[in-house]
Amino acid sequence: MSISRREILAGSAAAFAAELFAGPQESKQPNAALEKLGDAALKEAKRLKASYCDIRINRYRDQTIQVRLSPERGTGKTLEVPQVSDETSFGFGVRVIFEGAWGFAASPVVTPEEVRRVTGEAITVAKANASLKTRPVMLAAVKAYRDRWTSPFEKNPFEVPISDKLDLLLDVGREIKKQSKVQSSTGFLNFHSEDKYFASSEGSSIQQLIIQTFSSIEANAVDFQRRLSKSRMYVPTPLATGYEFVARMNLKEHAQRIREEVVEHLGAPPVQPGKKDLVLMPSHLFLTMHESVGHPTELDRAMGYEANYAGTSYLTLDKLGKMRVASDLVNIYGDRTTDRALATVAYDDDGVKTTKFPIVSKGIFVGYQTIRDQAHLVGEKESKGCCYADSWSSVPFQRMPNVSMEPGPRDTTLDDLISGVEDGILIEGRGSYSIDQQRYNFQFGGDAFWEIKGGKKRGMISQVAYQSRTPDFWQACDGVAGPSYWQMYGSGRDGKGEPTQINSMSHGCSPARFRQIDVIQTD
Amino acid sequence: MLTRDESQKLTDRVLKLSKMPECSVSIEETEQAFIRFANNGVTTSGLTLQRRVVVSTGRDGRTGVSETSEVDDSALEAVVRKAEELAQIAPPNPEHVEPLGPQKYPDYDNFDERTARARGPELVPQVKAVIDAARTKKLVAAGFLYRTASVQASANKAGNFFFERSTDSRLSTTVRTPNGSSSGWAAHPAARLSEINGADLSARAIDKCIRWDGKALRLDPGKYTVVLEPAAVSDIFLFAVPGLGARLSEEGRSFFSKRGGGTLLGEKLFPEIITLRSDPFDRRFPTQIASDDLPARQITWIEKGVLKNLVYNRYWAKKSEREPTGPANNLVLEGGEGGPMDLVKAVDRGLLVTRFWYVRFVNPQTGQATGLTRDGLFLIEDGKLTQPVMNLRFTESPYRMLQNALGVGRNVRSRGGEGAGMITPSLVVKDFTFTSVSDAV
Repeated sequence: MSISRREILAGSAAAFAAELFAGPQESKQPNAALEKLGDAALKEAKRLKASYCDIRINRYRDQTIQVRLSPERGTGKTLEVPQVSDETSFGFGVRVIFEGAWGFAASPVVTPEEVRRVTGEAITVAKANASLKTRPVMLAAVKAYRDRWTSPFEKNPFEVPISDKLDLLLDVGREIKKQSKVQSSTGFLNFHSEDKYFASSEGSSIQQLIIQTFSSIEANAVDFQRRLSKSRMYVPTPLATGYEFVARMNLKEHAQRIREEVVEHLGAPPVQPGKKDLVLMPSHLFLTMHESVGHPTELDRAMGYEANYAGTSYLTLDKLGKMRVASDLVNIYGDRTTDRALATVAYDDDGVKTTKFPIVSKGIFVGYQTIRDQAHLVGEKESKGCCYADSWSSVPFQRMPNVSMEPGPRDTTLDDLISGVEDGILIEGRGSYSIDQQRYNFQFGGDAFWEIKGGKKRGMISQVAYQSRTPDFWQACDGVAGPSYWQMYGSGRDGKGEPTQINSMSHGCSPARFRQIDVIQTD
Repeated sequence: MLTRDESQKLTDRVLKLSKMPECSVSIEETEQAFIRFANNGVTTSGLTLQRRVVVSTGRDGRTGVSETSEVDDSALEAVVRKAEELAQIAPPNPEHVEPLGPQKYPDYDNFDERTARARGPELVPQVKAVIDAARTKKLVAAGFLYRTASVQASANKAGNFFFERSTDSRLSTTVRTPNGSSSGWAAHPAARLSEINGADLSARAIDKCIRWDGKALRLDPGKYTVVLEPAAVSDIFLFAVPGLGARLSEEGRSFFSKRGGGTLLGEKLFPEIITLRSDPFDRRFPTQIASDDLPARQITWIEKGVLKNLVYNRYWAKKSEREPTGPANNLVLEGGEGGPMDLVKAVDRGLLVTRFWYVRFVNPQTGQATGLTRDGLFLIEDGKLTQPVMNLRFTESPYRMLQNALGVGRNVRSRGGEGAGMITPSLVVKDFTFTSVSDAV
């Protein structure tokens, strides 16, 4: 029977989806209809003699509003170009372990019959793989939970009129364009929700709702005579929160700033390359931390499971607990519990209660990120709750949690960091980023750069990128600003795995100083 | 998978629900079977079906877009109403273009039934061949094999409709020594799974791994003559594509922008060995009969070094009084004769690059990008590979790469680490800029 005929017979799935995930926010129990569907998979897997089964029934929604102001061809008149879209996706995925091998199958048709059929498909896949397995899958123990959790929000962004969002972005775009030398502006808002249900043959039944808010604004300026163009962005901290956060982004105020800075950047002199001291703001440093600490401490990467795509890690198992990867000032942790951080949930996609754990402690590498089928590889009895799949149709696997750096001493200010620099650069925002397949050699750009001379922040410079080797870079950290400077930023589309999946996570840090880093002059 | 008839009935259902004068619907359905392996064993694998129904509707230049994965009556009604609701709220889009009327799409199909039906019995032997070969040499293999079968249909109230179906597959493998001292890689994308041979592919990756093992030479950063294998060309060329946009070029933000204004259309910018075109009917690519709903066609972007065309979407084409081109996809860089080792023979001193990794823009206007070599970098001396070389970071522009091209080999379909891939030859390039050394293996 074709998929479409099965679905027509199934009836109104859209209403069904709404009914499945409905229920008061404060309810602590999963919806009974979800549990009934989940049970269909678990019973079928048991009947077919799988040793483990879990099912995720998920619904995703993405609402994106974008407004671009740019000159009309021929007239130069500013056109205001809106774009609005609203996407949903609903389906389920089943994982099984059969004869020690994983199998997975997924479908967009959410009916008991299809759930049973797809469970059978997952077992077929597992049977085929069993002949190629090297060792049976081993899962760390986990308690059974029956729970319901919602990420904190005051105003559901999907209930806010689209017209309000469009008006906001138009207002901000027009503010940017008040600078006559700005060629174009773009404003962007995205609201993402994940309704997730997880049930496992080990007795868990967990329903969660996560809402995330993303935004950015950008100004572009062009010098036709010098064949040069520059952009300047403001990216507010993306968070797992509701529309109440949008007002706190202060988009209009930042629009006024970036419209001037993009013009200044366009005329800024190029950097003189050489070894320099860098003061890196949280809006920039978060990405360096993500790439050079977050990724190499993923256990599956260190064990070779990512070797064919993103590579392995220089942090091999023999270095755990021993290798100095940073200065004494650097303490970095992984977690999925920080309030409103992007990767924060109550339970991961293995059904493990999430937690906080150290990764780098006073500069020493002390912990990997793990999931249930990895924990035993490092002699641990429990998973650190880092399992995630980006869709009902994706296989859950180990993904980076929120990874953050502890702030420095209370009385260390940003000015303290700057005043200790004779010849250096302050970098804000993200630009180009590239790191090798074991997370050693990297090169990072930024969004804006200011020269620091004789302990003072001077004018903007341009064409800056820095290169370093991860452990050398982090050991060159000799100053971290205090808690009042600590800010969280985030990565919204981190790619990993084959087929590639995306993930969002937050990274918090204070401004920090790094000594004598190689700076190059780019185009 | 949806048939043509089922797709047309589905799009008809959607259009009948629409209350606005303009409405278009596109449907994509993709079934994928895959096996992922590492440490000489399977890690994850599965069979998935994904579907997207995208509705775009509006009136008087106001447009709303909504998407769902469900196809029952109430889901389709909901997605149409949502799109209409968005259209009612959205301000008029000054760049709106009228929907396309009936188009004449090419009568072309490159769908392979065997690939579409392939499951474990067809996939497992290829993976087993790779793993067995690695084990025999006491090496460790990781990789990914998949096949996809897709249908795409699109229809609108102006009477246009098209339906296409395609298949695709790819096997890639990274083979490493157990102690992590060396790594080799090979990959083969193919519209037909039957063209993939796990044993041959693993032999190539194993050869790279074994050759590279040993004391790798540390070279100083600088400019080198390089022989780039097709995957390496594909890895960096991905960053040349955005600059081909006519709008970007006219707005002064592209390599093809002219100093003082205008574009470099018609100018000779590259050596005569460089011809770049889009060719959706090259059977090495999966089927594509429509591109942005326009009939897919062959178009030459660069001909013997001269910039012949830029990408005009329908709006920019209308403003420029030109024909729209469709996007620059299904790219073919014309080749000559011989594989990478044939090009190596003609190089006195240089480097053979298997592929690049983590390539990202540094300056989108000049195309300058940065990334690293990976899985097989070798010194060439007097036409022979003499030593493995420590991996290097490059900071280079794909346009400058083409400008410095000295020779081309036979072109093959290739896809490196990221991106859609292309059909490209190996290239010999002088003065390719490397800026630092990497310890990574």
